Amino acid sequence: MDLSELEKDNTGRCRLKSPVPAVCRKEPCVLGVDEAGRGPVLGPMVYAICYCPLSRLADLEALKVAGGVVVKVLDTPTWPTMVFVDTVGLPDTYQERLQQRFPGIEVTVKAKADALFPVVSAASICAKVARDQAVKNWQFVEELQDLDVDYGSGYPNDPKTKSWLKKHVDPVFGFPQFVRFSWRTAQAILEKEAEAVTWEDSSPEEQEGPGRITSYFFQEGPRTRPRPLHRYFQERGLESATTL
Amino acid sequence: MEGRDGATVEKHRVHLRPATLRDAAPATLHLLPCEISVNRPAPVERFFTPAIRRGPDGLEVSFRGRRLRGEDVMVPSGLVGYVMTMEEKGEVLMGKQEALERDSDCFMEATASFNRFTLWGLEAIPGSDAKMRGALTWPSLAAAVSRGGLPSS
Repeated sequence: MDLSELEKDNTGRCRLKSPVPAVCRKEPCVLGVDEAGRGPVLGPMVYAICYCPLSRLADLEALKVAGGVVVKVLDTPTWPTMVFVDTVGLPDTYQERLQQRFPGIEVTVKAKADALFPVVSAASICAKVARDQAVKNWQFVEELQDLDVDYGSGYPNDPKTKSWLKKHVDPVFGFPQFVRFSWRTAQAILEKEAEAVTWEDSSPEEQEGPGRITSYFFQEGPRTRPRPLHRYFQERGLESATTL
Repeated sequence: MEGRDGATVEKHRVHLRPATLRDAAPATLHLLPCEISVNRPAPVERFFTPAIRRGPDGLEVSFRGRRLRGEDVMVPSGLVGYVMTMEEKGEVLMGKQEALERDSDCFMEATASFNRFTLWGLEAIPGSDAKMRGALTWPSLAAAVSRGGLPSS
């Protein structure tokens, strides 16, 4: 599997394609979609699309383990007539939405579709193989000293992954970008080991906070301004400095 | 002394070490759309700088798992930016000047200078509407006002 496109720059989204076999341009195909990497706290989430001519579906079923199948995107000139999608969400809602989007195609969205439809199993394998390879050869964008690459499977319950996360936390930057910051395991470590960050778009209550605890003991003055600044200064975030 | 918000402000004089302005080395600065509740050195060169990407529509990076888009902002001409630090008390030499200095006096020095910095926005390039862009127009307006520069005069 050729991941060179991802290895060149793994900081953003990346789309990998393999060439479309001639038969898939001529014959009706069946197409499966699955994902890998929803659980792990490390590495990318990979979606794979796999398609197969209807006439060769029996071969795919016979293969059982469909190794070396293609990773593809939908906008290439293939001829899918049936699409199978694996989901953990609400199958009916997604199926309806996809069916509307692709009226000429028979869409099936199902939980555990990877176990039910061979073409989805194949997509599942593609996704898993791509993800495992990406994680194994991860090129860290950061210039980290004493980087330990023994990060385990990347699953939150893997002790190796857990101790790697604790070791590589930085109080300001958090983790290398290899880590999914929003995952609960990562967040829990950040809350304990890293400094708090308040984003510009967080709600005002979050930013104001209840005030310092000492404000209950000492007169710190009212927290509201008696006289609002002119709009010119408000719009520019300017205030006069009374202390340095 | 009463400050604008009614809080009592301690009265003290701030002295600038003028020599430090001449020697201040140029620094690379990033202004992030967030507040980090700590003031201390951070490994910017290891975590942040190598992760910056220059795409077709400007700079991109991620910080704490959020995508930031950035652009260079120039300090308005005629002005220079300085990174200033307050000297720790006790470093102040109480010599000949002792009579002129009070305990409450503070000394500031420049540790770096800049004429540009990178302004980062959440998901989007800050653009011309950014508060910071507006704020940088204040010095020229303030100068015009203090000159009494009304067009008729």
